Amino acid sequence: MRYAVRALGWATKTLWILIIVFAGTSVYSAMNVRMGFGEPQVFLSSGFVILSIPLFVNNSGFYDLSELNLTVDAMDYDGSLVSTSTTFVPLIPRGSSVETAHNVSISLDDITSDVLNYLFNDTIFNVDLSMKVNFARVIPFQVSMNKTIPWGAPLYDFSIGQISYDYYNLTHQRVLIPLSFENHSPYFDIDGIMQVEIYNSRDELVGSRTLSLNVSSHSTYEDQVELIVDISKLTESGEVHFSFETSMFSLGPVVIPYG
Amino acid sequence: MVEKGDTKAFLRKMMPRVFKAAVLVGIVYVPVYFVSTLIRPLQSFFPWYEPLANIFAVIFTIFLVVGVFSSGTVFQYVFGVARTLVLMMFFICALNGGVVTLAVPTEGATTNILVDLRIVLAMLVLVCLLGIGKNVIQAIEFMSSKTETKETQ
Repeated sequence: MRYAVRALGWATKTLWILIIVFAGTSVYSAMNVRMGFGEPQVFLSSGFVILSIPLFVNNSGFYDLSELNLTVDAMDYDGSLVSTSTTFVPLIPRGSSVETAHNVSISLDDITSDVLNYLFNDTIFNVDLSMKVNFARVIPFQVSMNKTIPWGAPLYDFSIGQISYDYYNLTHQRVLIPLSFENHSPYFDIDGIMQVEIYNSRDELVGSRTLSLNVSSHSTYEDQVELIVDISKLTESGEVHFSFETSMFSLGPVVIPYG
Repeated sequence: MVEKGDTKAFLRKMMPRVFKAAVLVGIVYVPVYFVSTLIRPLQSFFPWYEPLANIFAVIFTIFLVVGVFSSGTVFQYVFGVARTLVLMMFFICALNGGVVTLAVPTEGATTNILVDLRIVLAMLVLVCLLGIGKNVIQAIEFMSSKTETKETQ
């Protein structure tokens, strides 16, 4: 029994020493791991809004960092998922550093088809950011944060004013449609073409015109669209159809009744 | 004369124990103070740690002192088991069952930090259980050797 007590005593002492050494070196190593996120950057590339979050990890501790997993979920104001993306780094050995960027891609086509609202109304995107890493392969560590990113509608307050009619000739009339909207988007300019079509109350095409658009970020567009239409087809009421083809998105027709 | 001699013998017996208890209390106080100093800058995130550590340190110290004073009896091992149990409970409470969470307010957002220390906690609990086992075996050995001595007499 004396030997058993002695063995247990040695085992206990050895384990205490191991735990204390591990705890001490872990705290020292954790203090020597520099990990952080840079300022998120938003840019556009071929129909995608790309949110780029710079990430750097400098592991100058005693232990490896493994299975680094960075997940970013972007949700709109009502909590529906807009985008999800993951970056995985299998191993960051001790004494090394990693610099990478986590890119979250959001297709503008998806936005326009699913949530047309984003083009006409400002909103806020909630971005959930979660990073998991295994410290020394035995201590899972997780950092998560929630950020809100404002979304400015590129066609905010899109509306037409009072339509006016001018004499053109005996068979045709000049129609003037005052048009205005504000590009609230802080991220991109609207650069492309806009097609305007007038339909009468019998759904017949009365006249159409294609205009070029160049509306820079945080600026207002105010102009009159001039169309020459056939008097015989023109009715007191009808619809104006707007279609957009820009470098960032395709949209249309947006139908606004008149009369 | 007899009373004076008894007092002297008692003091001679107790003085080394008082000294030993004082030294052990000092040894226990050093890591408690060290960890508390280390945690102090983060006190706003762990406001419960210092009172908890103080309570457990006091209980642990009481069992330690009583254990030293009761050395040579079976109670030494009983208090040894109690002391180790207190230590084990402290680890479980201080490490929040092995999952430590922290909410750090940053620029316009809150960063949540989660550290899973269950493996470390399991190691600590294992060491404490080994300590309890050792004390129990020592108590059994003590009792059996006492019985043997009585039988021999």
